[in-house]
Amino acid sequence: MSTDILRIGQSGARAARASIEVTAQNIANASNPDYVRRSLQLEEFVASAIIDYNPSDALSGVRVGAINRPGNEFLTARARDTAADVERAQADIAALRDAELGLEQSGLFRGLVDFEASLTLLESDPTDPALRTGAVESARQLAVTFQSAQAGLTNARDLAQGALEAGTRETNNAATELARINTELTKVRQGSASYSNLLDARDAALRDISSEFSVSVEFDEVGAATVRLVSTPAPSGEAGPVLVDGVNANSLTATIAADGTASFTLDGFDFTPVSGAQAGRVSALSDLSERADTLDAIALSTITRANNAQANGAALDGSPGQPLFSGSDASTIALALTDGDGLALAPLGSPAGSSDTSNLQSLVAAIGADDGPIAATDRLLLSLSSRISGLETTREGLSIIANNASAELLNETGVDLDQEAANLIRLQQSFEANSRVMQVATDIFDTILGLN
Amino acid sequence: MSFISNASGTFYDRSLTQLSALRDNAENFQTQIATGVRIQRGSEDPIAASRLRALTRLEVRGETEEQNAARLRQDLEESANQISGVVDLIQRARELAVQGASDTQGENGRNAIANELEQLAEEMFARSNATSITGGPLFAGTAGGPAFTRAPDGTVSYTGNSEVGTVAVAPGTEIERSITGDGLFQFEVDGTPTSSFEVLTNLANDLRSGTDPSGAAQGALAGLDEALNAANRNQTVVGTRAAWVEAIEDDQAVRAINIAEKQSEIGDTNIADVIIRLQQTLTALEASQTTFTRVSNLTLFNAI
Repeated sequence: MSTDILRIGQSGARAARASIEVTAQNIANASNPDYVRRSLQLEEFVASAIIDYNPSDALSGVRVGAINRPGNEFLTARARDTAADVERAQADIAALRDAELGLEQSGLFRGLVDFEASLTLLESDPTDPALRTGAVESARQLAVTFQSAQAGLTNARDLAQGALEAGTRETNNAATELARINTELTKVRQGSASYSNLLDARDAALRDISSEFSVSVEFDEVGAATVRLVSTPAPSGEAGPVLVDGVNANSLTATIAADGTASFTLDGFDFTPVSGAQAGRVSALSDLSERADTLDAIALSTITRANNAQANGAALDGSPGQPLFSGSDASTIALALTDGDGLALAPLGSPAGSSDTSNLQSLVAAIGADDGPIAATDRLLLSLSSRISGLETTREGLSIIANNASAELLNETGVDLDQEAANLIRLQQSFEANSRVMQVATDIFDTILGLN
Repeated sequence: MSFISNASGTFYDRSLTQLSALRDNAENFQTQIATGVRIQRGSEDPIAASRLRALTRLEVRGETEEQNAARLRQDLEESANQISGVVDLIQRARELAVQGASDTQGENGRNAIANELEQLAEEMFARSNATSITGGPLFAGTAGGPAFTRAPDGTVSYTGNSEVGTVAVAPGTEIERSITGDGLFQFEVDGTPTSSFEVLTNLANDLRSGTDPSGAAQGALAGLDEALNAANRNQTVVGTRAAWVEAIEDDQAVRAINIAEKQSEIGDTNIADVIIRLQQTLTALEASQTTFTRVSNLTLFNAI
């Protein structure tokens, strides 16, 4: 009998020590974001035998079972999806803010207003060479400003495209990693420490993918993940094309069209992502492509209005007005007229030196019209900044939701140091109590041996 | 196993979010105070940014109109000076005509008067071609050349036009730049078109020729009266216009202040307000940092 007691005590001490190891592991990984808290499953161990129809059992202590890893698929998916939404808004805002900075810093609006002012100033004395030179220089400045605004937009688009390509590479790397993890998962025993470790790595890879694309994930019986990228359009009956299926990872490619918009191809299927940072970048790139078209249209309208007015007027020497600007969009606009005397302020057919300003007035009116370049630039800036402002509000809301989801998930899966400290004390006591049991068994044995 | 757990990670995440939000706010206020500008970029307040752009345009336009008005005033003052000179000339010519009409003048006296009249005509011709500060003719309308030219035979004719350019000096207000030489120097006497130059030159010639000089001088008085009328009329027009420009300049100053006030209202930092809010945020930040340290020290491991 006393050997039974000794065995029970020993199994208890072993279980306590194993539990302390798990607790120590939890504490060591308390600040590891990919780690899910572990616990040790313990089972009562009873040895039983049946002799002559009389059941006879012997208590045999405790058995160390599997390592448990709490997982909540619903909470994890929710945390992933809400984080992807925040990433989407974030990436969209980042790209648009670059564009806003470029457009505002170029001083396009101010350049147009100054051009208008330098023309209005000519009304006081249209023959003054100083004022004429001032107006031409202001036009030259305006052409440079258009190019710098265009460069600002291009810069924002280049940055977004670079980020898009980097995000695609990261997604492909994470997909390859996930396929490897899926392979490993089939090889290790469930309930082992390595199994939990692989599940942690699997969730980390899924999180990496879902920060770029929103995903739809299914797990098989061993926990291997099948990942689809949620997309529009989607293959019929599915959320999107398959990125990882078991041990196979499909390669994702990003295509940037000539107009600067982006699209993706996966598993032979062309799609646009629904959420995640890449979706934000796609939306920002298509937005920026439209803004660039608008900027080009404003430049063209400035060129056309100025050149039309010039064509209807006479220069200071009475000759017909020559074009003020050359080029056809924001990147090619340049000053064509270099001499202030060439500004056609008087109507066509006026004699040399005429101080008639009627053609100048129609030019000023054309530049300042409600559908003219000044008003259009204001609308361009207003709509861009309104969009950013709206997205920022959206992002704040999404952040709150994502923070809540992540907190809920952490409560379920994260390490609580107070809990671990309490466990540590409890397990230490349990270990000491089991040692005491072994000592009692020894005492009993000694007592029996000491009987005379 | 089901229990309510508060993972340590959650606590740190939450604290980090709260502290960095407070810090962002404080930095934002600090930037507003340092730059004196409330809106650093359009997306912080799109509507206000657009209104600021509209105000900037008004401000620039206001500055342009002020310069235009100042220039217009100079031109009008210069015109007024020239016209007042012309009025003096005609008055002197009238005195001379009255003297010439007197039979007591001998031939020498009439010749002297004729000489002076020719001088006056010369000076009037010079004044009729007066230029502005930048060299443009004052009385030629929108034409580029001189207002009056003299033919080899001595006849003076108007080569300007009757169009007067306008200058925009306020939204919707355009003031005519000057007056034209034809209105100033040309008129009709008894239905016959003539000019101030013609009246003076004819009088001088008649006085010199000696055939009924007093009669010619008497006759010239009607022409001189008309010339004086025309000059006076135009002097009044120019004077009124200059007064109008001055009134508009006062208006422009008020409008500029108005625009600056609105810009400040929309775009400038309200220092008192922001400093108080910065202080409030800093207090909250300090308190949060202190409580964060305290709470994060509350771990069971300290008790083991």
